[in-house]
Amino acid sequence: MGAVAWTAFVIALVALVAWYLSYTAARLDRLHTKVEGSVSALDAQLVRRAEVVREVAGSGALDPASSALLADAASASLDAADSTSPGEELRADGIGDQRAAVESTLTQVICTTLTPDVIAELRDENSGWPDVVERLRSAGQRVEIARRFHNDAVRDVRRLRHRPPVRFLRLAGHTALPSVIEFDDRLPDGL
Amino acid sequence: MVSPYAFDIPGGVQFHVRDLAERLLSQGHDVRVLAPADEDIDLPSYVDSAGRAVPVPYNGSVARLLFGPVTAARVARWIDRGEFDVLHVHEPFSPSVSMLAMMAADGAVVGTFHSSTMRSRALLTIMPVLGPQLEKLSGRIAVSPEALRTIHRHEGTADAVIIPNGVYVDRFASAPLAPHWQGTAQRPTIAFLGRLEEPRKGLAVLLEAMPALLHAMPGLRLLVAGPGDPRDLMRHTPATVQAATEFLGMVSEPDKASLLRSVDAYVAPNTGSESFGIILVEAMSAGVPVVASDLPSFADVLGGTAGALFRTADAESLAQAVLGVVRDPRLRTALSSSGAIRAREFDWDRVSADVMDVYETCRAARPYAVRTISAGRAKRALRGRS
Repeated sequence: MGAVAWTAFVIALVALVAWYLSYTAARLDRLHTKVEGSVSALDAQLVRRAEVVREVAGSGALDPASSALLADAASASLDAADSTSPGEELRADGIGDQRAAVESTLTQVICTTLTPDVIAELRDENSGWPDVVERLRSAGQRVEIARRFHNDAVRDVRRLRHRPPVRFLRLAGHTALPSVIEFDDRLPDGL
Repeated sequence: MVSPYAFDIPGGVQFHVRDLAERLLSQGHDVRVLAPADEDIDLPSYVDSAGRAVPVPYNGSVARLLFGPVTAARVARWIDRGEFDVLHVHEPFSPSVSMLAMMAADGAVVGTFHSSTMRSRALLTIMPVLGPQLEKLSGRIAVSPEALRTIHRHEGTADAVIIPNGVYVDRFASAPLAPHWQGTAQRPTIAFLGRLEEPRKGLAVLLEAMPALLHAMPGLRLLVAGPGDPRDLMRHTPATVQAATEFLGMVSEPDKASLLRSVDAYVAPNTGSESFGIILVEAMSAGVPVVASDLPSFADVLGGTAGALFRTADAESLAQAVLGVVRDPRLRTALSSSGAIRAREFDWDRVSADVMDVYETCRAARPYAVRTISAGRAKRALRGRS
């Protein structure tokens, strides 16, 4: 091969590498934006669920003991949300283990107090509770959806960031590596 | 919403898009649907045509799809003009407008995966190209556990929420009975619905089981509804079977509901390639006992107790299952009532609320109007940000 051909080959190779790197950087940027969005969505849905639970607790629809348990767990969730108020902190760290534990507890309290019988009773009455039950179902479901979508986005980022070129060339810059969020978010049976 | 398939051709995805759009419109939401369509046909007012679909061989049959740079530009303009809060693309794997919309969009983009039909090898070939594009989805919906399994198979880590296809349960539950289709103790009726010549719908398996069924129940009537020419299929069937079989041709939606309400059992002998089985839900809504092949998707829809299953493509097993149901009034009542309960989970009331939960979640993550990627870049550049 002559010198001209070699030069052309090298130029083409450099161009290809440059294109790959800029493409990957753009893709990474897009994925980071997506994770920021999905974690703030999860945060918002968690707050929404806790608000609805507090409403149920304060409505007088349940017995006082169940109401107290629900109110306690919901308040713990809202406190945890306040202490990791949105903004940079939330974006960088996601939702930490501590908050995840609080949310699992809330789910468990919901499942213990709102048994299928209780839910059926709330649904049957004509005193306006069916609407609250429906909102609780929707809120719980949105938490489930938001966590699922967030973890999906996190796995996309992590997969790309584990690729050698991304690691060695530090294409991710100083952005923290997000991690999946695990907590119990099942809906009570019969809801 | 974006439908990959032409709106004027009947199909599960199109019906789903139509029903969901109309449901959301009736709740006061603002909905536009983009779909391939011929210029000279009447479209519902909420549908925008993306252009004329081209027949291409795809996935074992001829599909009418729409693609190419001109279409891509049209799809991008539609997205920018619409300023949608949420963009919902159906079947983003199919090489049509949905895929183009997904590739172009930035924002709250929801993807619904309907079928499990694409050839695995073809998917594996294009995954390196398509994979990064799929990352643009804010959230995925799978219509069935089977559709979710397909996603897992091809994308490993990807996850989705399961929201089934919807049915207007009451339209079937309250359909009028048709005396000429109702069975009697001596002359019970069973029904089949589907394209006659489509082997995957399994009419041949049912016909193969008919001699055994007629031997046990000489008065049995088989009602077959669906488009197609029965002559080829019937050429090799015994005269007794021909005498017991009635072809109704293509039936209207109200007639379909009446048929399902009236017969003693609905038989779904499909041999494969069904990712959902909406017809089973329609049958359960109508309160008719369902006897179906044990495809994973059918087992999912019936949820264990709401129907009788037989081994797929096995005429002997089919005959036994049908006999078991038709001869046992107590079992029929049990299947019918558990089916009616099961069907409620697929009612549009429930399904559209679930879809709305997904929309709201995705919008919370991307709280701005969906835009095309190039337009988004240009705007951000104007505002002086990288």
